[in-house]
Amino acid sequence: MRRVFFEGTTVDDLKAYMGPFAERLGYKFNTEIEFVDEVLESELVVLERDGDVYCPCRVRVGDPKEDLKIVCPCIPFYLDEFAALRKCWCGLFIREDVEDGADLIGVIEQPEPGTQVDVPVCLVEDLQPGTARHVKVGKVDLAVVRVGEEVFALSNVCRHAFAPLDEGFVDGYALVCPWHGWRYDVRDGTTDHPNADVRTFPAMIRNGEVLVTVPLGRAR
Amino acid sequence: MKIHLYGLSTCPYCRMTKRYLDDHGITYDMTEVDLLDGDEKQAAIDEVKRLSNGTSFPVLVADDEVIVGFNKTKMADILGI
Ligand code: FES
Repeated sequence: MRRVFFEGTTVDDLKAYMGPFAERLGYKFNTEIEFVDEVLESELVVLERDGDVYCPCRVRVGDPKEDLKIVCPCIPFYLDEFAALRKCWCGLFIREDVEDGADLIGVIEQPEPGTQVDVPVCLVEDLQPGTARHVKVGKVDLAVVRVGEEVFALSNVCRHAFAPLDEGFVDGYALVCPWHGWRYDVRDGTTDHPNADVRTFPAMIRNGEVLVTVPLGRAR
Repeated sequence: MKIHLYGLSTCPYCRMTKRYLDDHGITYDMTEVDLLDGDEKQAAIDEVKRLSNGTSFPVLVADDEVIVGFNKTKMADILGI
């Protein structure tokens, strides 16, 4: 959905835009409706002042690339951190399976770096059998691949000339690089070129979502 | 105990934290980082990054304890409320 904000944008407009977006990533608005409204009111103030709906509990640092990552809902940029917290920083969005969001409001416990975390990366229906897609989890670029009803995750960067593997094609259990055809076995990341295997990560399907297990990166 | 609160003027959790401190009669200094400019703002951001490993708010510093986010349990614990 295209993100269009205009003069007179309301809390309901924000909800209409953000809700479906968060849903596709396995998140929903907090169950505390008043809290949600209060946060979104603040976002409207930020929108008016700063020209975009930056997360009201983060500060713009002046680097456009960094600041882009705090435009709400900023879930895609912090998939691993939010999966570990089970919410976005402020608790405006909570994981779909959290029943009572009240406890998650406000508290920001930094998870230990290195903690293994199951990160939802997309809906199964968005990943057709025999296809791959790129997702960025923390600082890692991953190719998530579906073969029949199985899913796999591996580094998205070809070890030959660094092509994005997701732009290649899936052939059985092989992901074939789009540039020069190197083949990677999606089950273990091996290729037939010496010392050129790529890293793999456990992946699974749960409740219609594809999840990848990664170690949580350093706090950003 | 020396208490300093780094917050943002637009942040609901900063407001909750202030309210909580005020309600309990705790005195504190406060920096509203988004209302600063230039070097002053940068210095405050750097300090928050150093303290909290990120740029989330509020950041409450009580002597050498740091609380990120609105965390009643931790505040009560550290401030002896
Ligand atoms: S870049 Fe992948 S085969 Fe050359």
